[in-house]
Amino acid sequence: MTVTTTNDWSNRFKELNDSNEELNAHGKYFSCSYLLDMETTKILVQTHGGKIEKITMDPGPLDPYQFAIRASQDTWSKFSMPTPPPMYHGIFAASFQRDMKLEGDLLVLMQNLRCLTTQLELLRVVGIPA
Amino acid sequence: MANAKISSVVGRYVSFDVEEEEYKVFYLENGTGQPLVCQHTAGCHNHQWRGLLEDEEITENYRVIAYDLPRHGKSDPPLNKEWWKEEYKLTADFFTKFIVAFCDALELENPIFMGSSFGGNVALQLALHYPDRFDAVIPVEGADYSPGFYLDWWQHPHANAAQVCASGVWDLMAPQSPDKERWATWFYYSQGAEAFKGDLYYYSVDHDLRGKLEQIQGDKVKVVMLTGSYDYLTPPEAGKRTASQIKNAEFIEMEGIGHFPMSENHEEFRKYLLQALSAIHGVKA
Repeated sequence: MTVTTTNDWSNRFKELNDSNEELNAHGKYFSCSYLLDMETTKILVQTHGGKIEKITMDPGPLDPYQFAIRASQDTWSKFSMPTPPPMYHGIFAASFQRDMKLEGDLLVLMQNLRCLTTQLELLRVVGIPA
Repeated sequence: MANAKISSVVGRYVSFDVEEEEYKVFYLENGTGQPLVCQHTAGCHNHQWRGLLEDEEITENYRVIAYDLPRHGKSDPPLNKEWWKEEYKLTADFFTKFIVAFCDALELENPIFMGSSFGGNVALQLALHYPDRFDAVIPVEGADYSPGFYLDWWQHPHANAAQVCASGVWDLMAPQSPDKERWATWFYYSQGAEAFKGDLYYYSVDHDLRGKLEQIQGDKVKVVMLTGSYDYLTPPEAGKRTASQIKNAEFIEMEGIGHFPMSENHEEFRKYLLQALSAIHGVKA
């Protein structure tokens, strides 16, 4: 899939998220905001009740979020492959073995871990923004 | 009923003591031949071995026995102790004594011990401390040392521990493993939060065989290590490093499998297990 603009990417990610069967079944209390820091691209994802409320590409310095997941663009590219290579296949794997960092209020991350994992794996369908 | 099918796997309880503590232990078994004693992973239970227990090529030649460690599945905590007044922290000393007592209770002769994750680590401990009790050990996803997973998150009161444990081990599995089997493994992990952290005290703290591997009598108890390429806790290099320091040991990397091989993808795992069993009997022959 070729994603031409970041707006296309946001729309596609939201569409996939909001129609996902797992998230529809289990996302009633899935509400949080987090930053995906991909080195050259930053994405602020806000979710409420399992649905994407807002996606902000390259947010400003005072835009708030609860936790951040940071890694190099190379790591995110591999994480987002349909079948990611070993050690890039999850946020714990990449944090233990590669350059991914989990920062901020990790309690919120843990509270939402099940649905967050499903949501992040949507990157394997939509890819990362061009 | 036309579609009903009763499995040849049977479940039983066996009662015995480990030092002063009384246990009633649940185990599943199937097959005849040399005992192949199987330990599940931390915070889980014996159903992880469901594929192996019904694998006819294996059960034709081996008596496959998969038990629930006390505090897991259908094996209760000690019956004669107010266990709820203590924090559970599994130690290498108890873990090995329990396994030997279990094998003694079933009067198993010349068993092969196989365990995954903390079960893989304890397989190494058994090889070190009880070389006369076991014919061979197969540490799956094991290593001399595996720090980093003894975490408060597994029992944090402000998070859903069942989901944190289950989803916290999600990416220990390979993405290629079938969804059905990965979700079954996830489901088992949603049931074991209370024991998981205490198990990991052994896995990440009390288990440390660095500098001791050369003491394992690998000519007496054959060691064949199996590690999946997607295991981020004990990656292939950890298994290779460990095996290289044990006399006569072998290491086999399993492509496209993670930390729960027998549960996340038995069909792939069995190919490597058959290699391991051949290596054991090749040496013994």
